[in-house]
Amino acid sequence: MQGLIIQMLEGTVTSLKIFFLTLLFSLPLGFVVAKGRMTRIAPVRWIVDLYIQIMRGTPLILQLIFVYFAPFYIFGASYDRFTACIVAFVINYSAYFSEIYRSGLQSIDKGQYEASKVLGFSKAYTFFHIILPQVIKRILPALGNEVITLVKDTALAQTIGVAELFRVAQTASSREFSTVPIFIAGIFYFVMNYIVSRLFVIGERKLDYYR
Amino acid sequence: MIKLTGLRKSFGGTEILKDISFTLDRGNVLSIIGPSGSGKSTTLRIITQLERADDGTLEIAGSTLFSSVDGKAVYAKPDEERKIGLKTGLVFQSFNLFPHFSVLRNITEAQRAVLHRTKEEAEEKAISLLRKMGIEDKAKQYPYQLSGGQQQRVSIARALALDPEVLFFDEPTSALDPELTREILKVIRELAEEKMTMAVVTHEMHFARAISDWAIFMDKGVIVEEGAPDELFGNPKEERTRKFIASFED
Repeated sequence: MQGLIIQMLEGTVTSLKIFFLTLLFSLPLGFVVAKGRMTRIAPVRWIVDLYIQIMRGTPLILQLIFVYFAPFYIFGASYDRFTACIVAFVINYSAYFSEIYRSGLQSIDKGQYEASKVLGFSKAYTFFHIILPQVIKRILPALGNEVITLVKDTALAQTIGVAELFRVAQTASSREFSTVPIFIAGIFYFVMNYIVSRLFVIGERKLDYYR
Repeated sequence: MIKLTGLRKSFGGTEILKDISFTLDRGNVLSIIGPSGSGKSTTLRIITQLERADDGTLEIAGSTLFSSVDGKAVYAKPDEERKIGLKTGLVFQSFNLFPHFSVLRNITEAQRAVLHRTKEEAEEKAISLLRKMGIEDKAKQYPYQLSGGQQQRVSIARALALDPEVLFFDEPTSALDPELTREILKVIRELAEEKMTMAVVTHEMHFARAISDWAIFMDKGVIVEEGAPDELFGNPKEERTRKFIASFED
């Protein structure tokens, strides 16, 4: 039993790596995508829109397989599964985050930009000090949903052979002819998401000082 | 202080400002009246650089923001534009306060970020302006906690904090009920008594007549009539002006 728990904790570390690396890259990248989606340059907008449609319109599990195996079939070269897994998660989640950012950015009254301009703030100052704080407050609930989904989605990494928590649990389960490891994995995911959702509640409360 | 000549502006092929010219001298108050869609607000928005002129010449306190060259408005360099922008302030109809900043920070933010004043200087200035506006006790509150009239006073303080040479008001009371409107008009009147240079777009006819040194009536993108307020409001020469002003009686 102790051995099982240790194996599962190791799997959890892999799951957490996927989780944090995905957030690290896709949270900022989502902004770039959102900007591309809102640009006045039509061809850029179309391409970005198509990308978002594909990411949202096809299963993540399929995207994982594609990202891992496509280079092999096209170039005859294969690469690290973990890297492939991070790439697939990042391009998928950037698309989802970008749509959340876009809704947040578009909900800000244009008067905020005009007041900033008249007061002499630069474009960058306006974005980081006036617009972004208000966007974050508005999108936090939607972002929380997405981040919780990400915790659970990390289980899909096993499709391309990454030994994350769920993979470890399944392997142990078939080895021991028991569903207990799967059940324990469920508790692990639940605890992780409990922490994530508490953090978001704290964040929302912190930003509750204004309307 | 302000010398505007031959201003033209079109939006999507429709010309909404056709040859607008006026001057505003230092220490004077100009009121601009006219029906919705007459181009009053757009004129203010061009002077405060929220919109770009198509043609015309504009001098603000000795600097040229744009000048007419071959029927096109040619703007000053971006650096110069920014400098000229600091000479003008604008108060919006919808206040546009920053909701995530306290009242105090709404007034200090630009002083610190744009004029590089110290925190102490900026706060001192903010407090003295709030005192002048009669809302010193609101410094620590957030915009949503204030009435519309109080919010508009904060936004006037925010504009004044940068020591503009001329202050523009774009229908400053149109979002307010009559009681709150009076609060704001009182503040603007006090500024006029202090010889602040101002241009006010308003639908408050009695107020406009009382505080301004010069009045302009605009309709459909042209200045139909202008003159001393007692003349324009009391004895308008143009039929169109007369009709518009009469529509505010009773």
